[in-house]
Amino acid sequence: MTPVVQCMGLTKTYGRKIALNQVNLNLERGRIIGLLGPNGSGKTTLIKIMNGLLKPTAGEILINGQHPGVETKMRISYLPERTYLQPGMKVLELIQYFQDFYADFRVDRAYDMLARLQIPPQERLKNLSKGTKEKVQLIMVMSRDADLYILDEPIAGVDPAARDYILHTIVSNYNRCGSILLSTHLISDVENILDEVVFIKYGSIVLQAGAEQIRQNERKSVDQFFREVFAC
Amino acid sequence: MLGKLMKYEWKATWKLLLSANILTVVMTGLARWMVYLMGQTNYNDFQMVDFMAVMVLVTYVGSMFAVCIGTTIYLIYRFYTSTYGDQGYLLHTLPVDTHHIIIAKVLVSAAWVIINIVFIYLSVIFLLASSSEIFESMMEGMVDMIEYLGAEKITAFTVIMTVIAFLFSVFAKVLKVGACISLGQLSSNHKLMLAFAWYMGIYVVEQMFQGVYFAITIYIQQMMSRKDYWDYFSYYDNQWETSLLAGILSCVVYYLLTWYVMGRKLNLD
Repeated sequence: MTPVVQCMGLTKTYGRKIALNQVNLNLERGRIIGLLGPNGSGKTTLIKIMNGLLKPTAGEILINGQHPGVETKMRISYLPERTYLQPGMKVLELIQYFQDFYADFRVDRAYDMLARLQIPPQERLKNLSKGTKEKVQLIMVMSRDADLYILDEPIAGVDPAARDYILHTIVSNYNRCGSILLSTHLISDVENILDEVVFIKYGSIVLQAGAEQIRQNERKSVDQFFREVFAC
Repeated sequence: MLGKLMKYEWKATWKLLLSANILTVVMTGLARWMVYLMGQTNYNDFQMVDFMAVMVLVTYVGSMFAVCIGTTIYLIYRFYTSTYGDQGYLLHTLPVDTHHIIIAKVLVSAAWVIINIVFIYLSVIFLLASSSEIFESMMEGMVDMIEYLGAEKITAFTVIMTVIAFLFSVFAKVLKVGACISLGQLSSNHKLMLAFAWYMGIYVVEQMFQGVYFAITIYIQQMMSRKDYWDYFSYYDNQWETSLLAGILSCVVYYLLTWYVMGRKLNLD
């Protein structure tokens, strides 16, 4: 089966600064993968290229065997690190919006998650707190039956209780035939849900291994191993 | 998908921009009422009603400018934030073609510009029509101008073509702004400043082209007619053709520039 993501010699530069350097990476289906690295390591750049929000300087990237475009966007569900929704929209209008554009959007799942969080669908986004807006955004993303969920720093800047809810939402709602690529630097919070980890440092992939494999081989948690690899 | 994009673009803009046009209607009604009141007073001296009328008319003119400028600024802001700002993250991850994104934005923005222009024209005509003398002299002026230009030259065809040329010029203006904002994205820093620089640069180039075209036209006309003066109105015989051609060319160039950056060089921060 074709990997869900294939990167071949992927390079991105901003002027003289190299954000991604000859990245070769294959991500398989049906796995929860942690894209781990410190701030400025190239995680977001890689994610943006996967989503077609940035063009690589060199190399190639394939999603489901295709270059980023309309077809791949149908199959990727992306949660950026920022609020990308129109503040004037009501939550229910947002659901309608996602339903209109994504054939794999599950309305009942979205309303179910909203009800569990007691977020009123009639409410406008601008009236919601920052944390609630982020939860609404996550609900929209996880209500799709995508092949690849790309979640960029989904738990950064939220309290520990909210982190648990977010991770629970992610694990209990994703399409089991698809993969999740979860970018974060808060390893200890996500470590238990990861099947695989990719360490990225200065724009290069330094490790790709199973989470269990790291724990067995290194005899330490992924978080401890991460601290070792990225020690300053 | 184009229809859906247009629907959401319209939904995102209609409340504010319709409010602006309602302001035009309200100010027109108020101004016309004041003109009517001025006509009703029998005093020759400057009265309170005259003072109020002057104030209302000044506010009316100011509000017309505000509506025009406000609509333009809002449409530019909307294009920038929804395309290259945070909301661009949603827009550019939708499974839609880049062409559809550009077309939806341009059609909705151009529609608002046209609605705005129509409202303001109707407003001015409605206000002038409040005085039969002014309205009559305005109509006489128009008839004189038509006769001077040559009534036989103004046919239904030329009128329709002039309207089409006008529509293309509106699309070209909207696309020009979109192209400049997009070109500004080619830089990593100071993107808005660069967009403004592109706009100024393109404006200068357009003026140069216009000047050269003007000079060549005069020269050819003088050569053909062997006149030592320039017949101003004969220049406007072909005005709609020139405008249409310039409009279509501008639309093509600006559209391609926008599409090139959005489709091939997208670089969201």
